Amino acid sequence: MLPTLLAELSAQNVVTTPLTQAVVLPFLGAIVVSLIPRGRAELHRVVALLFAVGTGALTLSLLAGFDRQDSGFQFQVNRVWISDFGISWHLGIDGISLFLVVLSGFLFPLAMVAVAPSHDPKPYYAWLLVLQGGCIGVFCALDLFVFFVMFEIVLVPMYFLILGWGYADRVYAALKFFIFTMFGSALMLVGIVALTFLNRDGVVEANQARVATIQSEMATVQASQGLSGPDTPVDPAIAASLAAGEARIERLLNPKLNFDLVTIAESQTVTDTSTGASPFDWGAARWIFLAFALAFAVKVPLFPLHTWLPDAHTQAPTAGSVILAGVMLKLGTYGFVRFGLYLLPEPSVFFAPALVTLGVIGIIYGAVVATMQKDLKRLVAYSSVAHLGFIILGIFALTTVSIEGGVVQMFNHGISTGALFLLVGMIYERRHTRDISSLKGLQKSAPILAAVFTLVMLSSIGLPGLNGFVGEFLVLVGSFLTRRWFTVVAAAGVVLAALYLLWAFQRVFHGEPDEENADMADMNWREGLVMAPLLVLIVFLGVYPKPMLDRIEPAVARLVSHVENHSDYTEPAVATTGVGVDAPGEDGG
Amino acid sequence: MLASLWQQLSDSPVPIDSVDLAWAGLAPVMILIGGALLILAVDSLVPRRLRPGSYALATVLLAAGAMVAAVPLWQRVQDAERGPFATAAGAIMVDGFSVFATFVILSAVILAALSFDGWLRREEMDGAEPYVLMLLSASGGVMMASANDLIVMFLGLEILSIAVYVLAAMHLRKITSQEAGVKYFVLGAFSSAFFLYGIALIYGGTGSTNLVRIATYLSATVLGDSGLVLAGLALLLVGFGFKVAAAPFHFWAPDVYQGAPTPSVAWMASGVKVAGFAGLLRVFYLAFSTYRLDWQPVIFVLAVLTMLVGSVLAVVQTDVKRMLAYSSINHAGFILVAVQAATAAGVQAALFYLAAYTFMVAGSFGVIAVVSRKGDIGTSLDDYRGLSRDRPVVAFAFALLLLAQAGVPLTSGFFAKFYVITAAIEAGSSTLAIIAMITAVISSYVYLRIIVAMYGAGDDVPAPRTIPLPAAAGLALVISLTVTMSVGVFPGTLASLAERATPVLIPESDPGAVDPSGVPPGP
Amino acid sequence: MDDLLLNQFLLLGAVLFCIGVYGVLARRNAVLVLMSIELILNAVNINLIAFGAFWGSITGSVFALFVIAIAAAEVGVGLAIVLLIYRNRRSVDLDDVAEMKG
Repeated sequence: MLPTLLAELSAQNVVTTPLTQAVVLPFLGAIVVSLIPRGRAELHRVVALLFAVGTGALTLSLLAGFDRQDSGFQFQVNRVWISDFGISWHLGIDGISLFLVVLSGFLFPLAMVAVAPSHDPKPYYAWLLVLQGGCIGVFCALDLFVFFVMFEIVLVPMYFLILGWGYADRVYAALKFFIFTMFGSALMLVGIVALTFLNRDGVVEANQARVATIQSEMATVQASQGLSGPDTPVDPAIAASLAAGEARIERLLNPKLNFDLVTIAESQTVTDTSTGASPFDWGAARWIFLAFALAFAVKVPLFPLHTWLPDAHTQAPTAGSVILAGVMLKLGTYGFVRFGLYLLPEPSVFFAPALVTLGVIGIIYGAVVATMQKDLKRLVAYSSVAHLGFIILGIFALTTVSIEGGVVQMFNHGISTGALFLLVGMIYERRHTRDISSLKGLQKSAPILAAVFTLVMLSSIGLPGLNGFVGEFLVLVGSFLTRRWFTVVAAAGVVLAALYLLWAFQRVFHGEPDEENADMADMNWREGLVMAPLLVLIVFLGVYPKPMLDRIEPAVARLVSHVENHSDYTEPAVATTGVGVDAPGEDGG
Repeated sequence: MLASLWQQLSDSPVPIDSVDLAWAGLAPVMILIGGALLILAVDSLVPRRLRPGSYALATVLLAAGAMVAAVPLWQRVQDAERGPFATAAGAIMVDGFSVFATFVILSAVILAALSFDGWLRREEMDGAEPYVLMLLSASGGVMMASANDLIVMFLGLEILSIAVYVLAAMHLRKITSQEAGVKYFVLGAFSSAFFLYGIALIYGGTGSTNLVRIATYLSATVLGDSGLVLAGLALLLVGFGFKVAAAPFHFWAPDVYQGAPTPSVAWMASGVKVAGFAGLLRVFYLAFSTYRLDWQPVIFVLAVLTMLVGSVLAVVQTDVKRMLAYSSINHAGFILVAVQAATAAGVQAALFYLAAYTFMVAGSFGVIAVVSRKGDIGTSLDDYRGLSRDRPVVAFAFALLLLAQAGVPLTSGFFAKFYVITAAIEAGSSTLAIIAMITAVISSYVYLRIIVAMYGAGDDVPAPRTIPLPAAAGLALVISLTVTMSVGVFPGTLASLAERATPVLIPESDPGAVDPSGVPPGP
Repeated sequence: MDDLLLNQFLLLGAVLFCIGVYGVLARRNAVLVLMSIELILNAVNINLIAFGAFWGSITGSVFALFVIAIAAAEVGVGLAIVLLIYRNRRSVDLDDVAEMKG
């Protein structure tokens, strides 16, 4: 059965497309790793790395083959999966998802190299590979159903990673993580299904005109034959054409369900019907948006739903935290872009003020709480809440520049926070504590580590010339046009970020090391090897972000005009000229 | 004396009509009953004990044989020219629905029999009786699924139930098993009595017990006072509600699941539930579709209650069997959501859910049977700590089955839930879909607690222990896991089978077949 | 059979049914509970036969025969289970059989 299945799939060109390969290869790797006997500990690591690196290479080849002029979806593959429900294996990437796919491509192998698990390597690597496949799947999915499956599936490996290889409080953290995120996505499934049904109704509505045309044509034919009503014409050719007409009407009035994101988003058959008679008199589209938004808000996490994040981050093993912060939080922000702005533009515009408010609260709240943390890892976790608030602000400020900044910031946050978690993990491995007060003067004992930490921290603060600045700057510039006061408050968040990170750095690295901290080992070559590509990216993207922006901008511009076409929103004229595109590079360089 | 009796009979002035039986249509039931009696006979006639495992093997072969016998039936009812047919004077209907349910029930028999084998030997209770009882019980289930007459439905229900009472009370040395038996018996007999009273009222209201004739009567006649029929319908619902453990008729389930022998529970949670829902669907969709607007709201309330009870009360349990008992209540609520839709998509979703759930739950209880210790004890959450170290493969398989029950994608459980809420939304019950998904999240907490016990035991792990895994139980686990995962990736086959099983029921006039309303064809 | 007569039988059936239900719910002695269940089944039999006479078909009577047979089987199994409990606990009080809680 399996060989025939594979033959069928390859005949349909499914296996040979690069996106399918990038999604399936890690899953395949997970299966291979779990088939290796338990005793061969080293083999697990090598094989898992091979698959992860292979996937990373595939994503890089996508980057190389990406056409920067094309604002639409590239590398598309679209094959029927479950025909009764119109579910298809539809993948594709545009400028928005490209860099997130690349990020998931190379952050996983780095995380694998950086930390070896303390026990049970086999399931550890298998789960990491499943996670990689799931994350790439989310970013590539252009079918609502496939998206949901991938969005849900990433919970399981992360849950097991926290549970199996986490720290003391892992059971609580893992449960909280799973329940929070599952709760969010449970309602999203209802939203997706409701949307597809409404879309089908909309299609029927839209088909009415064509049905009328066909009916009148048929009536003409019948009249020309001198027939009335249900009489059957004598001429078989005419009878056949009438039957064909009937069949076409039948098809037009009973379309199949369709889960295809592009079809639904481009046709926009599900429109808002609210009359505005009362504040909550919303049409179905807005409620569906809320169902989606809840799922994404938990994942991001937005302010009141963020409580799972510090626990999960702190208790997860280092690789888990890196992936969680680097890739998985982006599932939420990416969801807002793709399934908020693109799929449901009108409700997105309607709810944008509320979401921007939550994002800005997140920026300030995350920064203030981070200042108060005693645990270094928890501090980084809260800094993520603040950074993700920036991304939300950028997305829902709804200007080309701010959304572009949000997308850039998704990638950059993945690099810098991922690197920060790696560094905190290194410190913990040596000192077995993350308590800021018991760390002191590490600059003396580990100068290279301290230098790397400084650079990464400055990138996270958003120092001009480093990658963190580009995204934040674009977000602030773009948002200023539509959300002036929110932007001012958010800018204060940048100052706060400098405050808590520099203060923490001062306490941990400066001063004279006491006895325990004096003989801490410095970075070894393996750790250096892991950090090197991240540092290169931090500097390169800070100095010369143009190649990245060039690829992102067309897709974002298209998205914004899509939003404008399907809602009463119009972008302020200043924002469309792409002010910020070249500016940060010149400023920083 | 016999000869004179025969003489009298043949001289009797009234000729006795011989009922026209299409034997092929009854083949699965006949194989089950005949096989059960054969096993019983062999067991009492053969002086020395047979090789261990031979009864389990015989049961599996019989169930597989019944499946083979059902394949031509499926082909026949799917054939556009021949279609479904009624037999036994219209009392039994062989259609896609009944054959699909038959397959699912027989799969449950196979899984439970495989699980019984090692368990009975460990408990030193090896013998033919559990297998015989299960086969008989399955024959009752198949009868329920194909009943076209309330009398046959009741007979099927009783054949199914009485055997299960014994299966629950079977463990002679375990007091909780007898407690389970007596509770199940009292409540089961009580609910059967309600069911029966309902049948009597419906018979009084419509003048027939034949489902098709009831449907025809109700659609042709506007009853001046439909109180009798509605009361009867309500009582039928009580009876079915008890069998499928729907709240508020679920009280027996946690105690019975906890106390009864674990492989018996595997059968109860899978086969009995399938039979109960098959009967429910048949009666409500076939005979009372004209009263849809009356029963839909009732099922709505039942579904909400069942899902809430099943998910919320499961959270506070500490015994794994009890947890899964509540979770099975939650699953029953999900299936009720599909029933409530009252559409073809609803039937399809319910059948898909039942098929998927059968494999998940039979596999799960199979694991519990393996992990428990002699005396059928050791089913508390603490007994699962460190299982990932003692039996990593079993623990992983159990985790996957539990995640499937939670509805995680790439497992059959996800598609089961997906089809159910799709059917609900299509029927305009979005509220129900939202409640269903919320309870699914609550009950996923329960599955995670079990997984946490297996994987996250921490530093105070109990001393390692050896957990023997009998080959048959391992096979059952492999089967259920394979089905759960492969349906989770490629649900199309099962979904289209379930879809082809939905055009229930009223066949077009087929000169070759017996009229389903039981009226003999005219000359 | 006219409606008035039918109603009398139905009333008798309903009364017996209620007595049976009360017995199952209120009695703690297992044997009495079994008897109450028998009572319900017999109430149904009265209904079935009355309805059968009302509609002039034999279905009701035939069904009543089935019910009698099934009731016998059911009670046989029930008594066996009760006997098993009596052997273990020297009591047939259902309230004593409450090992499991939750």
